[in-house]
Amino acid sequence: MIASIPSAVLLGVDGRPVSVEVHVSNGLPGLTMVGLPDAAVRESRDRVRAALVSSGFLWPRRRITVNLAPSGMRKAGAGLDLPVAIGVLVASDILAPGAVSGLAFVGELGLDGSVRDVPGTLVLADALRHLRVVVAEAGLDEARLAGGDCVSAPTLAELVARCTGRRPWSDPTPSVPSIAVADGGRPPPDEGDLADVLGQPVARRALEAAAAGGHHLLLVGPPGAGKTLLATRLAGLLPDLDLPMARQVTRIHSAAGALPSGAGLVIRPPFRAPHHGVSAVALIGGGSAAMRPGEIGLAHGGALFLDELGEFPVAVLDALRQPLEEGIVRVSRSRGSISYPARFLLVAAMNPCPCGEAGVPGSCRCSPASRARYARRLSGPLLDRFDLAVRVERPAASALVARCPGEGTGPVAVRVRSARQRAAARGVAVNAHLPARVLDEAAPLDDGARVLLERHLVTGRLSARGLHRVRRLARTLADLDDDGDVLSDLHVAEALFLRGGRGLLLGEDVR
Amino acid sequence: MSGAVPRDRSCAAALLGLPGMTPVRLARLLDGMGPRVAWAAVRAGAHPADPSRRFTAAARQVDPDEVVTRYAAAGVDVLLPGWTGYPAALVGDPGAPAVLCASGDPTVLEARPAVAVVGTRSATPYGAKVAADLGRRLAAAEVVVVSGLARGIDAAAHSGALAAGPGAAPPVAVVGTGLDVPYPRENRALWARVAAAGAVLSEAALGTEARPMVFPARNRIIAALADVVVVVESHRAGGSLYTAEAAARRSIPVCAVPGSVYSAASAGTNELLVDGCVPVRDADDVLAAVALARQGRGMVGPASSPAARGRADPGDPGPVDRLERAVWEAVDDTPTTVETVLLRTDLSLAALTAAGEELVERGLLTAGAGWWSRA
Ligand SMILES: [Zn+2]
Repeated sequence: MIASIPSAVLLGVDGRPVSVEVHVSNGLPGLTMVGLPDAAVRESRDRVRAALVSSGFLWPRRRITVNLAPSGMRKAGAGLDLPVAIGVLVASDILAPGAVSGLAFVGELGLDGSVRDVPGTLVLADALRHLRVVVAEAGLDEARLAGGDCVSAPTLAELVARCTGRRPWSDPTPSVPSIAVADGGRPPPDEGDLADVLGQPVARRALEAAAAGGHHLLLVGPPGAGKTLLATRLAGLLPDLDLPMARQVTRIHSAAGALPSGAGLVIRPPFRAPHHGVSAVALIGGGSAAMRPGEIGLAHGGALFLDELGEFPVAVLDALRQPLEEGIVRVSRSRGSISYPARFLLVAAMNPCPCGEAGVPGSCRCSPASRARYARRLSGPLLDRFDLAVRVERPAASALVARCPGEGTGPVAVRVRSARQRAAARGVAVNAHLPARVLDEAAPLDDGARVLLERHLVTGRLSARGLHRVRRLARTLADLDDDGDVLSDLHVAEALFLRGGRGLLLGEDVR
Repeated sequence: MSGAVPRDRSCAAALLGLPGMTPVRLARLLDGMGPRVAWAAVRAGAHPADPSRRFTAAARQVDPDEVVTRYAAAGVDVLLPGWTGYPAALVGDPGAPAVLCASGDPTVLEARPAVAVVGTRSATPYGAKVAADLGRRLAAAEVVVVSGLARGIDAAAHSGALAAGPGAAPPVAVVGTGLDVPYPRENRALWARVAAAGAVLSEAALGTEARPMVFPARNRIIAALADVVVVVESHRAGGSLYTAEAAARRSIPVCAVPGSVYSAASAGTNELLVDGCVPVRDADDVLAAVALARQGRGMVGPASSPAARGRADPGDPGPVDRLERAVWEAVDDTPTTVETVLLRTDLSLAALTAAGEELVERGLLTAGAGWWSRA
C-alpha cells in the first residue's frame, strides 16, 4: 500500500514542498530512500525505526521504499523524519489514511519517539500554508508566524493519538503575531548606549550619518581608539523594522536556524559581527544541501560589522562586492543556485597601517612599501563602497575630547528616525538608495555647493561616481541638521571630508 | 538702549527664534548686515548666507514685534555687539554671539574686572567651600564673579558672590538654555537672585531646552567675559577644562585651585597646575592674577579693549571672514587633526569643513588626510 505525506524542505531562505511517498511491499525487509536525500535525510531511516519501536509500534518486517518527490531537487535536513514515520504507519495500515488527510508534517524524531524542532520551521510552515501543519511543540510559535494553521505534538505516540481523534489537539489557541510599535524609547540595553563613547565628535557624526542614510562606514584608527565600541553602538541607532521587513528578516533567520525559540518576529535590525577567520561560505551562504544563508543574509535589514577589515582574506572581501551592489546574494553550487535578499549597512574597522599609528605625518613607523602593501589588501571597488571613511583618534591623542559630554543613543536615534522619514518621502528607505537620476530633484545644489564640487572634480579628487555618493551623503547630513531642501557648501564640504577615502590608508592626498 | 533702533531689536529676536537657528548660522546671517536688512532678506528669500532659503518660510510666519513683546514680557533684553549692555569683552571675539539675551543688568560688567569661577558639577565639600569663599571675597573686592549656574562649583561661587553683602560687585551668569528655562531646576531660586542682583546671559532663544552641546558652547562665552578664569575642582577631562581651553586660546590667564592628589574631583585641576597654570589658594591670589592680567594688556582702567586681545600673528591671513579666521587660528603650524580643530572652535563639522575648504583654496591651509596645517 502507498502513503503520500506532504512536508517541506529548506532551500536557501525558501521552503519547498515535498511529497514523502512511502510504499510497503513484500520482499526483503529493509528501507530504501530515493529522490536525492542528503546524509541527514538518509540517516532518518535509523531514527524513524527507533522512534517507532520505542513508541510501541510494530516496525513492518517488509520492504519499505521512500520516494521524495519532486525527484530533481536535493533534500536536506532532519525535518523529514516525521513525515517518513507517518508514511510508514499509514502504508503498513497502522494509521488510517483519513486520519492524516489535510495534514502536513515537519519535524525531527528522537530515538525515544520525541518530536523535535528543526531550523526554518517558519519558512517550512509558510510553504505548506494551504494545509494544517504539524510541528514540534518548541517550533509552534515560530510556525504560526507564517499565518497558517499549525498544531503540535510532543511525541510520535501522542501525535498518532491526536490524529485518530483519541486525544484532542491541546495546543493553546493561536495568537496573532504582534509587532511591537517603536515607542521612541531607548533601544534594548544589550545594544549598548552611545553615551559610553567619550568625545569622538567626528566619528559620532559619521556613525549617525551611517545609521540615518544607510551609508557604509569605514573607521580607521590605531588600536585602542575605540573603533569597536563605536561600531557596536550602531545597532541601537537603527530604527525598528517595519512589518514586511520584519517578516523577511524573520524568515531568513528561521532558515538559518538562528531564530531563538519563542522569540517571535524579529523587530530589531540584526547586527552581525563575523570574525575575520570566517570562511567565504559562512559569510555568503550556500553551505549544506539546504544552501543556508550566511552572515550577510543574516545581516539583511540591519548591519554587518567587519572588525579588523585588513585581516579578512581577499577572497572573502571580494565575495562582498556583488551583494553590496545588488542587495541580493546569488550563490551557485554544484547542487544548484539560489538567491536571497541581503541589503545591509556595512561597517568596518581597521588600522591605518601595519604599525597602527599612521595619522598626521610623522606618526607612522612603517616603510612606504609595507603601507602600500597593506592598503592594497582592500580593492579599490570595495573601498569605493564606503561613503564614510573617518579617522578615529585615541581619546588621549586629542586631550580635549572627553570634555564635551557625549549624547546618548536616545536623542541620536530620534534624529536618525526623522531623517529616515524624509528619505521615505523621497520613495527610498535611506538616502544611500537614491537613484542618480533623481538627485537633481532630491539633492539640489546651491551655487556655493556647485563651485566646491566642481573644484574637486576638476582636480580629480572626485570622480563622477563619487559625485553622486557625495550628494547622497550631503543630503543625509542636511536632513540630520533639519536643513533646507537645497544643499549648501556647508554640508557638501562636510560630506567631502567624511568621505575620507584612500588617503586615510596611504597618508597621501596632501593639497 | 543707546545705539539700538527698536526695529533692530525685534528683528534680531525674530531671527534668533527661527526654528533650526544655531549660533553659527545666526552669525553668518548677521555678518556685515544689520538685523533689519538681514530679516528682510531672509523673508524675501534673498539672503546671500541663506541661499537654500531654509529660513524663509518660517520667517514669513513670524511678526518681529510680537516676538520682542514676548521677550519684554519675560524681562529679557536682546543685545547686539556695540549696543549698551552687550559686553565689550565679547566684541571682536572670534566666538562672540551675534545676538545675546540678558535678564537683569548686563552693564554691571562695565568698569569692573571679571573673574570666571568654574568647576565640576559633582563638587566635594572642599571644592564647594573654596568656590563659595572665592565668590564672596572676589565680589567684596568689586570683582564680577562669572559662572554658569550649573550644579556644584558654579552654584557655590554664585551663592558666595550673592552673600558678599552691600557694596559688593553683582554676579553674572552665562547659561546654555533659554532665559525662561532655568536649568538645573534646583538652581531656579539662585538663578532668579543672580538676575535680580546682576545679570543672566544666554545666546539661546527663549524656550531653548538643555542639550549636551549647548554647555561647551556656553563655556566659551564665560571664558571670553573674564579677565582670569579660575577652575576650582575638575575631574580629569571634565567640562570645565573646556572653559580653561577656551580661555587659553584667548590668552586669558587660567588659574587652578590645588587639591588632594587622591581626589578624583581635583585630577583635572592638578593636571592644569602641572601644565603650568597659576595656582591660587584664595581670593588674594586671584586678585593678584587679575591685576597682572590687566596690566599685561595695558588696561588698568575700565572695560578691556577687544582689539588688545587679538593675537598679533606673524602669519596673519589678512582679511578673511570672521568664521574662517577663527578656523585658521585654531590650526597649528604642524599638522592638526580636523577633530582637534573642531573641538577648539565649537563649530559644527559642516561649518568647519566649509571654512577649511575655503582656506585651502586660498592657500592659507594645507590639507592632508584628516588633518590641516597652516600653509
Ligand atoms: Zn604605520
